[in-house]
Amino acid sequence: MSLKIALRRPPKRRRSPLAERIALVVIALLVLLAVFGPSFAPYDPLKVDLALALLPPSPDHWFGTDMNGRDVFSRTLAGAQITLSATAFVLVVTLIIGVTVGTAAALGNRVVDEILMRITDVGLALPSIILALGFAVALGPGLLSAIIAVAATWWPGYARLVRSVVREVRHADYVEAATALGVSRWRLVRKHILPNSLDAIYVQVTLDVASVMLVISGLSFIGAGAQVPSPEWGAMIAGAAGNVTNGWWSLFFPGLAMMITAMAFNLAGDWVRVRRDPTLRDGIAR
Amino acid sequence: MLEISDLRVSYPATEGRVEVVHGVDLRLERGSRVALVGESGSGKSVTARAVLQLDQDAAYSGSIRLDGEELLGMSARRIRSIRGFKVGLVFQDPLTSLNPVMRVGWQIMQPLVIRGVDKKEARRRGVELLERLGVAEAGVRFDDYPHQFSGGMRQRVVIAIAVIAEPELLIADEPTTALDVRVQAQVLELLRDIAEERGLSVLLITHDLGIVAGFAEHVVVMRNGLVVERNDVDTLYASPSHPYTRGLLRAVPKIDGDPAQRLLSVDEIAEETQ
Repeated sequence: MSLKIALRRPPKRRRSPLAERIALVVIALLVLLAVFGPSFAPYDPLKVDLALALLPPSPDHWFGTDMNGRDVFSRTLAGAQITLSATAFVLVVTLIIGVTVGTAAALGNRVVDEILMRITDVGLALPSIILALGFAVALGPGLLSAIIAVAATWWPGYARLVRSVVREVRHADYVEAATALGVSRWRLVRKHILPNSLDAIYVQVTLDVASVMLVISGLSFIGAGAQVPSPEWGAMIAGAAGNVTNGWWSLFFPGLAMMITAMAFNLAGDWVRVRRDPTLRDGIAR
Repeated sequence: MLEISDLRVSYPATEGRVEVVHGVDLRLERGSRVALVGESGSGKSVTARAVLQLDQDAAYSGSIRLDGEELLGMSARRIRSIRGFKVGLVFQDPLTSLNPVMRVGWQIMQPLVIRGVDKKEARRRGVELLERLGVAEAGVRFDDYPHQFSGGMRQRVVIAIAVIAEPELLIADEPTTALDVRVQAQVLELLRDIAEERGLSVLLITHDLGIVAGFAEHVVVMRNGLVVERNDVDTLYASPSHPYTRGLLRAVPKIDGDPAQRLLSVDEIAEETQ
């Protein structure tokens, strides 16, 4: 009896592919918005018109206007470009440094490993918010300070992750087999070790899109990142924080945009993992 | 063509170094097939792998000559030019010795591609070789991933990778251990045929005396890092001279043996017959 039930009900998948597909469509839309959004914007995202201050959402102003009379919809579109490109920039820099340092530490000798990992430890010990405040003081507050600060505190995690994965992969039989064929060290890293190490990294990147975005926006929110006229999402929320009671829409919509983006990238993580791994891609279990 | 003399291999241990191979001599003539047998830990793998010096921790002394050229102490660059090109290595486990994220064809072509052979030409030779090794529809299977192959088929891929660059010596490190008995026989036969066709010398490392008889001409028996007996295969099976060899031979389980009888360990037999 119990067997019958077990047969009738196939094991539930953790997440339906539909959710992943929606997430991918959302991400595609977000990227399109980030690239072309500002040219669709019905109003100038920076134009102040106090006569139009704090209008609720209407057919004229879909997301309403903020306390300075700027169109929240136009600003949210413009913010997509700023927030997403800042996030992408941080992740690219993080990846380059993290993969290089992690791989060098894993494949280098004890001294190299020791030096790189101690530097990494220092990096891990620095809280990004404090560091960003430091950069904001040193470089002057701005989006660039926030980007540098987040990248500087984010790469050590990747270096650690890459090092541990590469250390495992380098001892794999197929790496030794490639060595036995006379494959050069550089090619070994490029074609055998890294492609087998990066699956974990790609998944981490998709999951980190949300975190990095939130930290950058958070830094802007506390004033260490993008500054007030900028339509960066965190800065928009910061600027509108005083209007929670009389103009909720001016911070609700940039917040909603952040939430949707974060969710879409988190959902996409699984899809990336499945796509990257040929044993999962073809639907054949190993 | 291969001449190993007084080979000693040691590894770093918690205190000082531990020597695991204590002066082994081994000769392999061109085109001959020699089996290196012994239990796990006898040093047979370490001895054979010393030829390619794959292990960075190991320290070697003695001499390994390939076509008269000394391999020990050779620069890393020169060693790399010998790997795969003059000496091919067939790995034990075809499930783990293929790169899981690269197509098998890419892996078969690799030894040629890294030596500057044109990709089209490399592919043509790869498909031809895979076909020769009995993989049906080799041209199509060439673009599959390792996990899409069965164990026996994967071992054919591993053999193809080892021989595609036309080495003169093939070291087969327990090439059939991971396979079931029927596939074992097929793979060994294939290995022997391809070796004969191409005039390859083969050094077969195994602990399974059952597969040696039909494959090798000479047998070298190792124990605890030393060679205890070397003989041609018929003499060895007919009248093993060392008690350890007798032990190894009698320790092979027989299908018509008395099921009530406990299987004896090699040491027990060796002691009893000494």
